[in-house]
Amino acid sequence: MKYRIPHFFLILLTTWLVQVQLVQAAEPEPMVLTATAKGRSMEQAVEALSQAIVNHNYTFVRQQAMDSRLVPYEQEVRSVRLVYFCNFAKMNHALKLDPRATQMLPCRITLVETPSGVDLIAVNPAWVSQNMGNPALHAECETLKLDYLAILEEASL
Amino acid sequence: MKRCAIALALALSLSARAEPLIVSKAVDMRQAMDDITLAAANHDLVLVKLQPIDTALAKRGFENPHIRILFIGSESAVRWAEAAEPRLLNLLPLRLTLMQREGQMTVMSDDFSPWLKEFPDAPAHLMIEAWQAELKAMLDDFVRQ
Repeated sequence: MKYRIPHFFLILLTTWLVQVQLVQAAEPEPMVLTATAKGRSMEQAVEALSQAIVNHNYTFVRQQAMDSRLVPYEQEVRSVRLVYFCNFAKMNHALKLDPRATQMLPCRITLVETPSGVDLIAVNPAWVSQNMGNPALHAECETLKLDYLAILEEASL
Repeated sequence: MKRCAIALALALSLSARAEPLIVSKAVDMRQAMDDITLAAANHDLVLVKLQPIDTALAKRGFENPHIRILFIGSESAVRWAEAAEPRLLNLLPLRLTLMQREGQMTVMSDDFSPWLKEFPDAPAHLMIEAWQAELKAMLDDFVRQ
């Protein structure tokens, strides 16, 4: 019994290290996930995105200008907007796994108006979690990435 | 036991790859907010938004994580990113996580290392380092308040 506890601890540690190594050795994740809503105005794109967010079981939190609160309201840049959203059960689960999950919270998509429409850009949560050394959180972020992709696809249809 | 210690040291060194800025001091959430507001003002930073995820979760029947998220920024950072490297807009406004644990308030930034790795060249790399340094100075100021 004297030696079993350290051995058990060592096996656990080795398993965890292998998982960490597997995550870090995996194909590098892209930094951002993107989609383009061609021919849409900013208002139309925000509306479509808000609907896609709700359709995928997330709650719309807020939208704001990129420079909100940094300049007077009337001087805010209208061509870049941030849309925040959240799924509270998923947020609760992620925070229990690792408080560093706040680095992906709340979920956010940046909308940039271009001459041909609106680009929708999100930081890939799996890119953020890839180097955190927490395989459980990374798995959660890979699922979150799929949700982002589904929302981006629907919003840009 | 020696092997366990070596393995643990290895594990810790691997985990140390992620490097958010972290400071802590013994204050409650309200005092921490006041101190951060003052520290931010001292460094020309503005509190953009407080995200009270502790009350948001508790209100919906989840366990209170005693965590809040604070977004902090400056107009100059936004204008610079718009002009020089729009992909960096995704990092703005900068985020701070406030965690209350047993009377201690820990404030943690996002980890800048993946961003620095993604943008290895100037001017983006230098700008991220400048934002990181600005945030560090502000957090040091927060600790001293």
